[in-house]
Amino acid sequence: MSVVCLPSSIPAVSSATVVRWLKSPGDEVVSGDALVELETESGLLVVEAAESGKVLGYRVKPGQTLLAGAELAEMAEVANVRQSAGMTKQPEKSVAEPKQTTGNTAGDGAKATPILMPQAGNTMEEGTVISWRVKEGDTIAVGQILCEIETDKATMDFESPDAGRLARIVAKVGEPVAVKQPIAVLAASDADADAFLAGGIGGVGQTIEAKPQAVSAPVKGNNQVSSQRVASPAVLGNGGRVKASPAARKVAAERGIELASVGVGSGPGGRILSSDLAGLTATAAGNGAAAAGEIRRPLSKMRRAIGLNLQQSKQTVPHFYVRTSIDADPLMAFYREQKVATGCTLNDIIVLAVGRAMMEFPAVRSQIVGNELVEYPHANIGIAVGIDDGLVVPVVTNVDTLSLGSLAAETKRIVEQARKGRLENIGKGHFTISNLGMFGVEEFSAIINPPESGILAVSAAREAVIVENGAMRAGRSMTMTLSADHRLVDGVMAAKFMQRLKDLLEHPLGEKGKLA
Amino acid sequence: MADHYQLLVIGAGPGGYVAALKGAQLGAKVAVVEKHHLGGTCLNYGCIPSKALLSSAEMLHSVKQADKWGVKVGGDVGFDWSAITGHKDKTIRQLRGGIASLLKGRGVTQLAGTAKFDAPGRVVVTAAEGGQQVVSAEKVIIATGSAPMRIPGWPDDPALVCTSDEAVHWQTLPKKLLIVGGGVIGCEFACMMRSFGVEVTIVEMMAGILPTLDADLGSELLKTFKQRGIVCHLDTNVEEMRLKGEAVAVRLSSGETLEFDRVLVATGRKPNSGGLGLEKAGISLDRRGFVEVNERLETKTAGHFTIGDANGRSMLAHAASAQGVAAAESALGHGKAFTAAIPSAVYTYPEVASVGMTEAEARDAGLPIAIGRFPIGHLGKAMAARHQEGFVKILRHRETGELLGAHMIGHNATECIAAATALVEHKVSLPEIAETVWAHPTIGEAMKEAAEDSLGVGLHLPPRKVMRLAAAMA
Repeated sequence: MSVVCLPSSIPAVSSATVVRWLKSPGDEVVSGDALVELETESGLLVVEAAESGKVLGYRVKPGQTLLAGAELAEMAEVANVRQSAGMTKQPEKSVAEPKQTTGNTAGDGAKATPILMPQAGNTMEEGTVISWRVKEGDTIAVGQILCEIETDKATMDFESPDAGRLARIVAKVGEPVAVKQPIAVLAASDADADAFLAGGIGGVGQTIEAKPQAVSAPVKGNNQVSSQRVASPAVLGNGGRVKASPAARKVAAERGIELASVGVGSGPGGRILSSDLAGLTATAAGNGAAAAGEIRRPLSKMRRAIGLNLQQSKQTVPHFYVRTSIDADPLMAFYREQKVATGCTLNDIIVLAVGRAMMEFPAVRSQIVGNELVEYPHANIGIAVGIDDGLVVPVVTNVDTLSLGSLAAETKRIVEQARKGRLENIGKGHFTISNLGMFGVEEFSAIINPPESGILAVSAAREAVIVENGAMRAGRSMTMTLSADHRLVDGVMAAKFMQRLKDLLEHPLGEKGKLA
Repeated sequence: MADHYQLLVIGAGPGGYVAALKGAQLGAKVAVVEKHHLGGTCLNYGCIPSKALLSSAEMLHSVKQADKWGVKVGGDVGFDWSAITGHKDKTIRQLRGGIASLLKGRGVTQLAGTAKFDAPGRVVVTAAEGGQQVVSAEKVIIATGSAPMRIPGWPDDPALVCTSDEAVHWQTLPKKLLIVGGGVIGCEFACMMRSFGVEVTIVEMMAGILPTLDADLGSELLKTFKQRGIVCHLDTNVEEMRLKGEAVAVRLSSGETLEFDRVLVATGRKPNSGGLGLEKAGISLDRRGFVEVNERLETKTAGHFTIGDANGRSMLAHAASAQGVAAAESALGHGKAFTAAIPSAVYTYPEVASVGMTEAEARDAGLPIAIGRFPIGHLGKAMAARHQEGFVKILRHRETGELLGAHMIGHNATECIAAATALVEHKVSLPEIAETVWAHPTIGEAMKEAAEDSLGVGLHLPPRKVMRLAAAMA
């Protein structure tokens, strides 16, 4: 084996930054073949193979700046490599080709298969590995739980989509990784995995922060790496720089916010804008020393997401509120009966009623998308579920097509999944129901979960005096408050919607709307 | 009973008067002390008078080449020195009046006289006629500026061996002028005097002119100077200078002896920090006499700030003004560290302007840089308007894409640098600059072209050569 190095003196060049590898590990090269492209202060520099051989692996990554003489790659001599330079040159690949996760097995020959950060839901942009359940060197089966991943919405166990030998763990515990970026690499040999990581997987490699020891051969002291990129991968632009507007940088600097911790911004290409920093304060690791008795910890992703989402909602969605109280006696009677028959909860009945009502009010199952109003054919309803450190909203789709029994079963299933960290139908909801009745709440108003049209805040069925036809009787009353997006739903429509809902819930078996 | 102010500013140059205005704008009761004229060096002995003279010099330079533009100028082309200096003096008077009315408009008390500390926050102001008054203040901003250096041992006749203080107010022109020092002041005077027909020789001890700027700028300007007949002795010291009748004789380190009828000493400036009684306020100076300040421009004595030339951080009027705002904000409780990018502007023709790190600074710092260049002569506007001299050179951090520095020589460079300064100050990266649309045809387009060149995506230059080298094997 021999080590390929930068020439020890390059005219007019003091350092060179690796742009990309032009050969992949395993490629056979002949003398004169272009190996790697670097950028220097005087322009581009292509380093060619001085001898024929086979590329075993890289010792440097794109983005690294090297001094003259630095070690670049390892090569093995190959006995029968094609003879002379120039005669049978392979066409140069312009970019190291992306390796796709094609098979279920990795580890044959020079192949390496990345395990990518999954995208659980349309809005997920990055995830953080909270714990690894496997270690480097383990043999992994398809479906085996690899790690626990925290997203902005939930925590979930991640099952391996592929089988093979886990050569390298890329994602460090606690560091966010953008979706579809490698978190680990399956490969038969460590060298293959390292070469894969070093090689720039269609640009992906540029943003991988590999383990420092992720070089197969021991790194000698003279591997003259002058500087190394360190940053969170999620928000790096091409140049390895957090993409942020000048104004955002200024605000971040003033408030001591680490831009890399902000995640993906709302500007073009995920660029962080100053508006994305609203409400954020100095990064926890920053200068602010905790006063006596204070406990400081970084906001969890979920808290951050909840905060940003609801703040944006309250600031941009014109909320208005319509409140009504229903006589809950018939509803409670219906519930007692149905609980036995179908195993439903009181909330399931409300969800079902809301689903029915939504079908009669298209605006309530509509959304504003750009300059258009999109009306959806079915009622998809989110159910707010409180969990230890926050709130998740799994969605039941097509509520209008479900019977109470099947709705109850489906709701039970998705809520259980949500509590386990698996969110279903993220982003598909048209309306949300938040029920705090079990805590005896008299009434409350909720914030709309954009881009939905509204949210219904359901309170407890309390004993109350019911006045009916001029006579008082002891009964139960339940208050419900609709928060509606006035861009979609006008006051009269909201009132009619609530009237219809009241009617459905007060006459669950009545002619107008049979809920059973 | 001393008059008491919330903020006292000593010196009404571009740093001091701006600090006073900012203090007043922030609601403080402010006084400013000036021993001479409002506007300081910039207005009375520097930027403004030299630009007034340069405008006539450049016009004359253009008229002499009017043929090149296809313009026929009849009769003798010449100039009227008294009209030129008259315009300069009028401009100075107008601007002094402007500052006075700005100060008045914001209710700033103007105290004419020389200030001397008695104690921290306490200053005695002595008027030219001798009257004294004691002023106390909660916060003090020292903005006393600097003065041109004279070389000990050289003749001290200010009519023959001058500094810029005298030169901007010359009543007559020299025939044969020696300029000692090829920095900004030396180069501007060389350019100006040459256009008025003066024989000009520059002696510079460094290897190039404009030695504080990126080296490529000085070498480009040097070519132009040589074409215009300005003699430049680089790497050269003046070993001896003495009067020889009406002339000044000098011996250079090269052994050459030369005679001139006037000398401009432009070797640098020293801070006006003596005679202020700073020790009584507990304020310390560094070895070179500059007032020591922290990043908020505050001296060792709390509540006492020093801005501009007197702290030596940047000897430029706009730096002083920016520091004046920062110090006034700090003094009145709104402050933060002063870190702004400061552009440099040299009013030769072609103009020279610069912001951020020079190539040598970036290399010394070991930063991985990529250099982009674009010759201004390639631009349509430059060709059409016949201003083809110069180039733009920009430095990019190869790993982060950050714009580290922009250096320009060419027509209107001092105006174009404003855009680059905003980009450097706000850490805009090169890809973003290259994505920005610049108006065509302009000279400023060269900035975008240079940005593209540094990224290897320029379209108006031949493809960049790729160096190919065989790997070393170990």
